Amino acid sequence: MANQILASASVGKPAIIVAAVLAVLILGMVVTCVVLVCRRSADSRRKTKKFLVKAALYAFLTVMAVIVLFPFYWMLISSVKTLNEYNQAEPTLWPQQFQWSNYALAFTGNLNLGRLFLNTVIVGVVSTLLSLVITVLSAYAFARLEFKGKNILFAALLATMMIPGELFTVTNYITVSDLGWLRSYSVLIVPFLVSVFYIYLLRQNFMQIPNELYLAAKVDGTSDLKYLWRVMIPLASPTLISITILKMMGAWNSYVWPNLVANDLPHRLITVGLRGAAFKDTLTGLTNYPAQMAAVVLVTIPLLIVFLFFRKYIMRGVSRSGIKG
Amino acid sequence: MKKKIGAVMLAGAMACTVAVGLTACGGSIKPDFEWPEEGFNTSKNVEITFYNTQGDNLQEITQKHIDKFQELFPNIKVTASKGEEGGYDDLRDKINDQIVAGNQPNIAYCYPDHVALYNRALAVQPLDDFLPGGALADKTVTATTGEVPFGMTEEEKESFIEGYYNEGSAYADGKMYTLPFSKSTEVLYYNKTFFDAHEELKVPTTWEEMEQVCAKIKEIDTDPQHVAFGYDSESNWFITMCEQYGSPYTSATGEHYLFNNAKNKEFVGKMKEWYDKKYFTTQAIYGSYTSGLFTKQECYMCIGSSAGATNQVPTATDGQTAFEVGIAPIPQVDPSKPKVISQGPSLCIFKSDDPQEVIASWLFVKYMTTDVLFQAEFSSSSGYMPVLNSTTMEKSDVYQQFLKKASGFSKTGVAAKCVQVGMDQENAYFTSPAFNGSSAARDASGQLLQDVFAGKSIEQAFADAIAACKS
Amino acid sequence: MDEEKTTLTEQILAEEGAPAEAEVLAKGEDVLAETPEEGKPKKKKKGGKWQSKNQWKAWLYLLPALAILAVFTVWPIINTVRMSMLYRVDAEGNVIGYHNLDAMRGFKYQFGFANFASAVHYSGFLNALGNTMLLTVITVPISTMLALLIAVALNSIKPLKKVYQTVFFLPYVTNSIAIGMVFMAMFHMVGIDLSNPQSVGIINSIIKAFGGKPINWVDMGSTKVANMVVLILFIVWNALPFKILVLLGGLQNVDKQYYDAAKVDGASRFRVFWRVTVPLLSPMIAYVVITGFIGGFKEYTSVVGIFGDAMGPTGGAHRLDTMVGFIYDNINGKTELSTQGRASAAALILFAIIFAVTMINFYVSKKKVHY
Repeated sequence: MANQILASASVGKPAIIVAAVLAVLILGMVVTCVVLVCRRSADSRRKTKKFLVKAALYAFLTVMAVIVLFPFYWMLISSVKTLNEYNQAEPTLWPQQFQWSNYALAFTGNLNLGRLFLNTVIVGVVSTLLSLVITVLSAYAFARLEFKGKNILFAALLATMMIPGELFTVTNYITVSDLGWLRSYSVLIVPFLVSVFYIYLLRQNFMQIPNELYLAAKVDGTSDLKYLWRVMIPLASPTLISITILKMMGAWNSYVWPNLVANDLPHRLITVGLRGAAFKDTLTGLTNYPAQMAAVVLVTIPLLIVFLFFRKYIMRGVSRSGIKG
Repeated sequence: MKKKIGAVMLAGAMACTVAVGLTACGGSIKPDFEWPEEGFNTSKNVEITFYNTQGDNLQEITQKHIDKFQELFPNIKVTASKGEEGGYDDLRDKINDQIVAGNQPNIAYCYPDHVALYNRALAVQPLDDFLPGGALADKTVTATTGEVPFGMTEEEKESFIEGYYNEGSAYADGKMYTLPFSKSTEVLYYNKTFFDAHEELKVPTTWEEMEQVCAKIKEIDTDPQHVAFGYDSESNWFITMCEQYGSPYTSATGEHYLFNNAKNKEFVGKMKEWYDKKYFTTQAIYGSYTSGLFTKQECYMCIGSSAGATNQVPTATDGQTAFEVGIAPIPQVDPSKPKVISQGPSLCIFKSDDPQEVIASWLFVKYMTTDVLFQAEFSSSSGYMPVLNSTTMEKSDVYQQFLKKASGFSKTGVAAKCVQVGMDQENAYFTSPAFNGSSAARDASGQLLQDVFAGKSIEQAFADAIAACKS
Repeated sequence: MDEEKTTLTEQILAEEGAPAEAEVLAKGEDVLAETPEEGKPKKKKKGGKWQSKNQWKAWLYLLPALAILAVFTVWPIINTVRMSMLYRVDAEGNVIGYHNLDAMRGFKYQFGFANFASAVHYSGFLNALGNTMLLTVITVPISTMLALLIAVALNSIKPLKKVYQTVFFLPYVTNSIAIGMVFMAMFHMVGIDLSNPQSVGIINSIIKAFGGKPINWVDMGSTKVANMVVLILFIVWNALPFKILVLLGGLQNVDKQYYDAAKVDGASRFRVFWRVTVPLLSPMIAYVVITGFIGGFKEYTSVVGIFGDAMGPTGGAHRLDTMVGFIYDNINGKTELSTQGRASAAALILFAIIFAVTMINFYVSKKKVHY
């Protein structure tokens, strides 16, 4: 019922509605500001002023939130429209008719989303596991073990982070071609297993764990590996979870390198497939935007779900690193 | 004094260039292929791989003839496969990747610019020694039917359509690298029902007639979203116009990019005029093959690949198609000197350390390209044209049967008509020179047209296209 | 995966930019030495046996990481510099850089700076460099200002704060390519005759509702300015969450007493914002500006997301090319002149620019940033 009303309401002049909402909000902001300026000196109106300031803040935030959310909204409603409705002169703000089969197209068309999901999960899981092992071992060595040249080595590693990745890519492309790794899982996994930044993060984390614990363990005759597994890893688990999520999201969002070295169906990752696929309407050959948007939704939703569940870890990892996905 | 210094410097620079050139091209002159002392060893098994882009139904036909070939040479095992999901470019990229690691196939579908690319690493086997008059043309090999010639015979060479055969040597070094496998060309599809209904419309044979027909169609159908014709490939249009006017496009040797000239600017200006009048659209502008517009009757002519014939037929409702599809050769500048582009895959052989593999590959390539029955069966199932000339093909019943199906109402019918139209102009085929960068020129010329249609000045578009080629 | 690599630089800079972490790095040596200092003398007294065993173990633990770093990080640094210097000159006098396929033919290469010269003289490179600079210079200030406003607004509300915070963070957990495609769809017009299109798209509909005229944003015949506007909108949209997160984090750590003091002085809100908030936040602002600049110079996927591999609309391919796009195009270039030698040269130029900009930023923020 609500759908119907919305649909019929929006068929006429949908843009007017959007415009009206935005206009009211912006108008509200302007009025608020004007009122504020006019009544600045009036001491007795302090409460009204405070209220108006709050109103202005909320209006501003709401307008920005609408702008931020609008692409998501447009993606979602477009994904269930028919091609005809999508292409009609006046865009509708709510689908007149829900065409869920757009989602099926993403799996059956030339996109082959099922295969892309599988590839991405394989690469994501394997590279995350290996990467965790390598990171933990190295961070442990840097945090707890003594060896000659440790500080110089660590500083040298940190220094490599100054260099933009493109500089590595040129040679790495040649290296993996020479190894015959092009179009394989290895080429997607191995070159990025070691992240100096993760080693650094985890080392800092490990170093916060009191040395006494280690010495006590040594007295108890616990081996290094056992100590690492029993004590250090549980204590550092928030960092490890952050690394895991960011690494998985990395596989999900990576485009440039996979597009360069493994753009074949058996190894193609999800983002590469999404960008490369042609969403053509079988009848007219025109781009089938609803089908494309359905695929975009399918690629976007898992990320949002992960975000909702691991919000804390992601925000922590992000604010420390600035890693995009 | 200054002049003298300048001259000395110039001479020095030239000497340097020559010296660098020599070291670059240097190396001992080796024959392209060394015949093994043991000859073709029939007691040793040889496995060769063949990458193509065929769909399942065509793989089946290919496999059938591979089996026949393997009966002739039981020690050769040919594995044919789709080297890569996707089209020609995907296959090219895969093979290019494999060449670095040295695990490329023995034989592959190719276009001339692919070969030029592979030959960056000199990976493709020149075929000159195996051709009539070549060093190894007189060698023989043992088949189950007895001793058969190893090289290509004069008669076999003569059976090819000349334009297709010549594509194999369109390279800077003049060597022959490929043999044609199956070919297509561009044809003019038109809405015959519509043309018949309007007496003033005549199927255009020249571009002048085309202009008149377009003007008339725009009078009949005034919908601004409709056009008179669709031209799928801008690049093909540009290159074909160069060829039809006899004005330079590219050269395999010396300065490669010659298309920045007055004649070309003139016809591009004409196209822009047509575009502004909404006479036509192209695949890039429309966003898909223009057959989509054609079958919807939003355009009434469509110039596209003969291999895409089946897409030009409107879907039948109640066994009744919406209109009859007519097929004609594309319009010409000068109908007495027709020129049409030749497309479709050829076969190239990759070099190998094992001479037996190269011999086996050559025998297979020769078999597939010159076998009349295979060419006929492949053509009738794919809609591609055979690479052998009509006098040779007419001997085949399969081929004759196929041509008899020609009609404007069914998919097979239209495909057969296309092959017929294509074979009728077998002397008109041209191929552009192939060199490393020829595909860049092709892309740039299509881009040039798009830029001009989008509003860039013609001068600027040509300058940019040349710059893009030289990047 | 690649994005991880590309952000590594951001990461260290990120760390350096943030005050708490900056100390860690500034005093890197001390911090590094901290733990060992406690243990070192003791172990030495204990004798070399235990220590040498431990040494061996430490290297074993580091082995996998070091092996991979050696191949995919250390070797590339050396080899990229090497390749950028290798070139040959063909018969027509073109400078052709090193390329692995060419190398299989056994060409002899000369050593020098010709690749840099040929890259800099080449119009495609200049276009890419110009676009990259322009995008960075425009998007970084816009997104930083907007993020600052939003963060301050968020910081001064209580109800619904979490909701708004989550909403503003959402663009961060999306795929640039996927959402780029959505932006394309929103601005796209449908029809053969674009002067009179069948559908103008949702954004143009909104413009029309406000009484404006539809604009050809991303389709055939669009202007580069229109393309750039869409691109800038998308980049800012994409860049906001990270900046808001960092700035809001900074705001929450600001001592409330500064504000109370300002209130007592009766300063206006604007004055408080400008005189108290901005200076107190300056380390965070410096941080997001520096990471923004570095990210901006590596812009690539945003363009691909909206315009695809063509890096431009139909009839304007490569118009919106960026530095990173230029480098990738040259890695497995399809023409003889586009080579890995030139890609290496371009990558080194990119490195130099990023390095210089970062240094300038550090220098400026050292003078301006209040701790």
